[in-house]
Amino acid sequence: MMATDASAASLSDPAHLFWAAELQGHLLTATHDLSRLQTLLDDSHEAMQSGFFGLLGVIEDAPAASAGDTSSAATANRHMASAIKALQFQDLASQLINHTSRRLRNCADRLACDTFAGSEEDGEAVIEAAPLQPNPVTQSEMDTGFVELF
Amino acid sequence: MYSILAVDDSASMRQMVSFTLKNAGFNVVEAVDGQDAFEKANSRDFNLVLTDQNMPRMDGIGLTRKLRENPKFKATPILILTTESSDQMKQAGRAAGATGWLVKPFDPAKLIEVIGKVIR
Repeated sequence: MMATDASAASLSDPAHLFWAAELQGHLLTATHDLSRLQTLLDDSHEAMQSGFFGLLGVIEDAPAASAGDTSSAATANRHMASAIKALQFQDLASQLINHTSRRLRNCADRLACDTFAGSEEDGEAVIEAAPLQPNPVTQSEMDTGFVELF
Repeated sequence: MYSILAVDDSASMRQMVSFTLKNAGFNVVEAVDGQDAFEKANSRDFNLVLTDQNMPRMDGIGLTRKLRENPKFKATPILILTTESSDQMKQAGRAAGATGWLVKPFDPAKLIEVIGKVIR
């Protein structure tokens, strides 16, 4: 009921209407930017992963590895482990982007619904559901996560 | 050879996990979410299940709970590999019957070491 009252008040106030439209525009722009960031992330990750596995194949076939050069093999293994850990950034970043996009989309939809409800003829507004859980990604660095055996 | 069921909805994570496990000499079967994993687990035997938590259709804790309901999986180690690090979520995993909780990103050597401790 509050939303309806607010809508009625909002619609009679052009300044509020303008402000709401502008805010909604910013939220949608941020959502679209995140979507583009996701595409860039996926593309670059795919290229890196392809390069990583391609390079790994070359290293495994290299004369030093075939000849059992343990020092080179240990160095290669260390770099490989480091790359595997770093390449997991795509999964973490994608979850962050997805969570934040849903939150922004929910804000934009609710704002539109509250402000413009009743002013359009195209039926009931669809509101993107806000994430129920807090952001699943709390890491801010690519350090190895903790391990706990129960 | 030990068989591991690796579950993650992210194709890139599945590739990283599979590569690491195969490189360490394990046989790996991949599943794209909890439901897919549950169906695969019922069609063959696995020595360990390594699952993500946040997935569509069925999450890692849901999968653990469902597997533990079946006597066949009473003793199968189930490790949850996830971005989630909250105590609340970890305790939910433990209550569902998970063997351990690993937070991403994983270090390949550490992952193999943990698996070596619990696999049977």
